[in-house]
Amino acid sequence: MRSAFLAFLYSILMRGFLRIIVGVKYINKEVINKEKQFIIVSNHNSHLDTMALMSSLSFRQLSKTHPIAAGDYFGDSVTKSFITRLFTNAILIRRTKDGSSENPIEMMSRALSEGRSLILFPEGSRGEPEKMQEFKKGIGILLQKHPDIKYIPVYMRGMGKVLPKGEKLLVPFDTYVMFGEPSTTKAAEIEEIVKEVEGRIMELRATFIKPIANSEEE
Amino acid sequence: MHFLQSDKFEQNREVIILISIILGILVFATVLFFIWGRIKPTNQLKELKMRTNSWWVMASIFVLATILHPVVSFVAFGLLSFAAMRELASISKNVRDDDRRVIIWCYLAIPIQYFFAYKGWFNIFIIFIPVIMHVWIPFMLVIRGITTEIGRSMGVLPTQMMLTIFSLSHLAYLLSLPEIPGFNAGGRGLLLYVVFLTEINDVFQFVWGKLLGRHKIIEKISPNKTWEGFIGGVLSTAALAYFLRFLTPLTEIEAVLIGFTIACSGFVGDVIVSAIKRDIGLKDTGTLIPGHGGILDRIDSLSLTAPIFFYIVYNLHYV
Repeated sequence: MRSAFLAFLYSILMRGFLRIIVGVKYINKEVINKEKQFIIVSNHNSHLDTMALMSSLSFRQLSKTHPIAAGDYFGDSVTKSFITRLFTNAILIRRTKDGSSENPIEMMSRALSEGRSLILFPEGSRGEPEKMQEFKKGIGILLQKHPDIKYIPVYMRGMGKVLPKGEKLLVPFDTYVMFGEPSTTKAAEIEEIVKEVEGRIMELRATFIKPIANSEEE
Repeated sequence: MHFLQSDKFEQNREVIILISIILGILVFATVLFFIWGRIKPTNQLKELKMRTNSWWVMASIFVLATILHPVVSFVAFGLLSFAAMRELASISKNVRDDDRRVIIWCYLAIPIQYFFAYKGWFNIFIIFIPVIMHVWIPFMLVIRGITTEIGRSMGVLPTQMMLTIFSLSHLAYLLSLPEIPGFNAGGRGLLLYVVFLTEINDVFQFVWGKLLGRHKIIEKISPNKTWEGFIGGVLSTAALAYFLRFLTPLTEIEAVLIGFTIACSGFVGDVIVSAIKRDIGLKDTGTLIPGHGGILDRIDSLSLTAPIFFYIVYNLHYV
């Protein structure tokens, strides 16, 4: 029932809305549908990011994939956290360390052990439109604990223009969601893993904006 | 289902003939390139194949939009304008980032403009964007209260609306033109006529340029455009305009002159969009990744030929 609801919401309504109205274009999306379990790691500029990533999943993957969301933002009221959980399957974590709540890494790690997939934004918050911030360590710890799980680097461009932080009005602009090849991590140390993942996303980013200097014009 | 069917399409012999010609050309090109690829595959062939594939998509959309119920056509053209406007707004560096809210007004103008076209309200249709929106957009920018570099947005946004919304909506308006006694093909015929001639003119100029091209016209903007390609394209298009005039109420001389006009204005539209792309540093407008063409690349010539063709035909035969 719930998976049917999510499938309807994302595969039909959301995908149609994102593609036709917002102008989201998926590049190399096929890679994701072959994977059983994965961690999607992406840059983060907008609330739309989660929607765009969820809409790229297949029916079966949808109900088993959980975006990681900030509990202090989305969980600060009962209604807000109910809506977040209902629509996104999210795992809510606390960004501040006060000892009262469960360790976020533990929560994510347990979900992975249960065979579930995660969507992670290691920048932590949406930040300035179209700028990338330094990655947090969490992704490194997770991949070190689960070295056999593949991560999929994703670079999104334009979301920060469509719906930036602090804005309520959505303005359609062409937006790109670019998937990299899924792979397990090669590094062993936490810092190295974080660097590797960040580097993969930067690689994707570098394929954008090619100057035309030497290319042939039609 | 009758919503999706237009009552008179089956009787519109002229339109059926042209659609068959288009299908014939596409099938011919596809088979030709397939056989060519079997014998001697080259890189250039790959590009030609890709172009043919995007022509299939474009042709199917246009043909479906023309033969189905007019409402479907108006919605389809409206979406085309929207996608083109969005693409232009996304790649443009000449609009201030903080003006994103004003761009909503540009998008909202699209359904209004197409509604006027659907209703056939000619007087408001021709002034809505060039007059009303040309006042409204700058006013909305002024209300924001930030004057630093406001001229950039004031100049660019209305121009983008002219290129993508105003001009393309003339294609849709062709379907709202009244019937002329003795002329059977109607608005659908005119629509297919101008779209087909515009696109085939691009192909002609490309082919003639490849075959005979020596002297560049404007090297800095479009290095592959040559005088030989241009003249060959103009002559071929004019000849084709003459033979296809059964789709229009035009006389023989009018058809030839319109062929010339479409070919020349198509060329101008093409180089205008090329220049915009050069300014931004892109080859194709649609995506920043090589190999995927954008919507603007397909409609660049149309955005000039559509209104020019419309006003010539309108003033010759509908006033």
